[in-house]
Amino acid sequence: MPEDLVTYAENTWCPGCGNFAIMNAVKRAVGKLGERGVGRERIAITAGIGCHAKIFDYLNLSGLYSLHGRAMSCAQGMKLANPDLRIVSFCGDGDAFGEGLAHMMFAAKRNADITVIVHDNGVYALTTGQRAPTSARGFKGPSTPRGNTEDPFNPLVLMLEAGATFVARGYVGKLAELTELIVAAIEHEGFSFIDVLQPSVTFNDTFEEYNASVELLTETPATLDEALAAARRTDRKPAGIFYRIEKPSNERALYGDGNPVADHPARDERLAKVKAILGTA
Amino acid sequence: MSGDTFTFLVGGKAGEGVKKAGGSAANLFASMGRGVFQYDDYPSLIRGGHNFVSVSTATRQITSQYARPDLIVALDARSCETHKGELADGGVAILNSDAVSNGDGVGIPITTEAKKYPNPGLRVGVAGPAALAAAVGLSRDEMEDLISREYKRDLENNIPFAASIYGAVREAIGDRFRLERGDRERPILTGNEAIALGAAAAGLDIYLAYPMSPASTILHFLAKHDRELGVTVMHPESEIAVANMAVGAAVAGARTMVGTSGGGFALMEEALSLAGMAEAPVLCVLASRPGPATGVPTYTEQGDLGFARHYGHGEFPRLVASPGTVGEAFTLAAELLSLVWRFQTPAVLLTERHLSESAMTVDLDVDAAAWAEPVVQDGGDAGGYLRYRDTADGVSPMLFPPSEELIKWTSYEHDETGITTEDGAAIVRMHDKRSRKREALLEHLKGARTVNRFGSGRTIIFTYGSTTMSVLEAVAAGGIDATVVQPVYLEPFPTWELAEYAGTRPIVVEQSAAGQFATLLAEKARVDASAVVKRYDGRPFDPLELAGAIRRAIR
Repeated sequence: MPEDLVTYAENTWCPGCGNFAIMNAVKRAVGKLGERGVGRERIAITAGIGCHAKIFDYLNLSGLYSLHGRAMSCAQGMKLANPDLRIVSFCGDGDAFGEGLAHMMFAAKRNADITVIVHDNGVYALTTGQRAPTSARGFKGPSTPRGNTEDPFNPLVLMLEAGATFVARGYVGKLAELTELIVAAIEHEGFSFIDVLQPSVTFNDTFEEYNASVELLTETPATLDEALAAARRTDRKPAGIFYRIEKPSNERALYGDGNPVADHPARDERLAKVKAILGTA
Repeated sequence: MSGDTFTFLVGGKAGEGVKKAGGSAANLFASMGRGVFQYDDYPSLIRGGHNFVSVSTATRQITSQYARPDLIVALDARSCETHKGELADGGVAILNSDAVSNGDGVGIPITTEAKKYPNPGLRVGVAGPAALAAAVGLSRDEMEDLISREYKRDLENNIPFAASIYGAVREAIGDRFRLERGDRERPILTGNEAIALGAAAAGLDIYLAYPMSPASTILHFLAKHDRELGVTVMHPESEIAVANMAVGAAVAGARTMVGTSGGGFALMEEALSLAGMAEAPVLCVLASRPGPATGVPTYTEQGDLGFARHYGHGEFPRLVASPGTVGEAFTLAAELLSLVWRFQTPAVLLTERHLSESAMTVDLDVDAAAWAEPVVQDGGDAGGYLRYRDTADGVSPMLFPPSEELIKWTSYEHDETGITTEDGAAIVRMHDKRSRKREALLEHLKGARTVNRFGSGRTIIFTYGSTTMSVLEAVAAGGIDATVVQPVYLEPFPTWELAEYAGTRPIVVEQSAAGQFATLLAEKARVDASAVVKRYDGRPFDPLELAGAIRRAIR
């Protein structure tokens, strides 16, 4: 594991938090990608706001520590500007499916070539344990002392229906598999989504439940319907790649092999174009 | 004709080609080397209703439409009803006698003529420029050239149709409004086109916007010319997405602009605050319309001045400027894009529907446009690159990925690297760095042109934004001996330029019910208005009415 992937920032995650495993998997994935020719300098990250987002300060990777619910929008802007970058956006379940739900749906719909890793702990931990969009009905927190009156979203189903071209579920208890999912997601051209089951040891400790219910998919479902069926299973929690198809990314659809930053014009060249349009105005 | 101007108005139902007819009239005048101002009035609907275009022209640069037309072409009964009372002394109304039974004017059966050809509904608008050509003295050949240039398609039907209208008008009124030629032909641009081209001239890479009147035509114009210019254009799911994508694009090094109106701007504010903290260069065009809320989408007002000057929560260097003319919109868009890259903070180009969607002939010095260049990190930085290096002027050199260096941008308060901090001394240090950046920006603006002055007359008139065009035309038309003072920059407010007016009692002209501009002048520059001439019915001022109001205020 490349140790230089850590900054000097003091780590303040709770001991035993699932976020440590996600960060370890990311570091390993970055190492593996480096061996395959994708250097860490070409990987840029964004993060939302919450416990998950502290990963931005801890990882020695460039990028933008964004706003709550906007990390995936900032990530899309970065990719649109320079499609040579590999963009990884870390989001909490509140970022992805609360404040930023519309951005997630549209990122999937337009097949923006970014990877979104959702640290899905089913709770708003940093803000002291309120219910999240993925909290179970009945979940008790300071904003729902008598229990959550809503049913949770199924993130995989949402992303599959919205048009994501790479949909996976990972589990922090399966580090090697999570690492491989992250590598595959970053290598995928198009919108890649990984919902990572990540217990919050302080506010929503689901380790035992997940250890009992998570089982690895033996193969990627062949069709969208099969993927949806696997995603809807409630008896077990399948993990692995649910869906992966080839489709032109948003950026490629917009400008082919172009690159706005690399193709930035010389001043004379641009002024000549402006004058040409004025000549016909 | 009022003074040296001539005004043509064409009105009809939406879908009858009214806008095209008005644009053709504007092009006719421009091709004669004359100055042109074109005002489109349309409700927020697609079919039916009442649309009209008013085109005023003079052999000088003209900066407003005139409310009293010299020549009206009314394609339907409602246009006749609405505008017949507006005719200037000596003016003529040409009425579609198929739609208007007993109007006062020259009746021509435009619909009957159109029905001699296929798709008559699409053809009636051609009557506008055909009638105008006859009335202003174009020869039959010149008229045919005009129609061929303007309509291009279906000429085998458009030419004979236009010829019949031309003939009928010539027979009825001759060439009563024969116009002289001006000095040279100039391009005609709307304010939004000028903003788009100005930003492009400064090196714009990406334009992002969610449709909202009256900003939408920036999006349409750049989307139409994207490959020609080399600008990437995208319409995402919301203004929130737009603004956050713009911050991301800036982080990756792209010169980026966004555009919207008041409601969308409200949604963008969170990301503009992010840009303030992250020190991300983003230029936002705020094209105002009457508010609050949905307001009156396709009309004009200056009700967002206070809102625009205070965008985003928290304290960071803000930059707001507003162009007074279409030509200035070009220059200012380039200048602001350049400034956001120089000072790494978001800026707002505030304008209003009246400038965004009105068109006028412009003299542009494209070569003089500013070019957006970041201050970049050059060479090695002992101890590694620091995104938020604490420099003397507060501007930290930029670097973009891919890079071996660590480049951390952030919404949290941070240290020089860009790592989150809650340390008191570190918070103060970064606040002070951003404050010094504001000081540096102020110093820069003190050496730049931030206030326009027109004329040197005794009466001082303060105005800003699109109302500048109305005031300049009113002063010209009314022969008023005035000095017109127009602050282009509104935040930071150029008090250093306005010190000489402290204690004077100028007239203030603005399109706001509350008089926000007058309040700003009093609070920031100790300039107290003797009178505030306001208009807030969604319509721009008429120069003659405004001249009258100014004269009354002088007395």
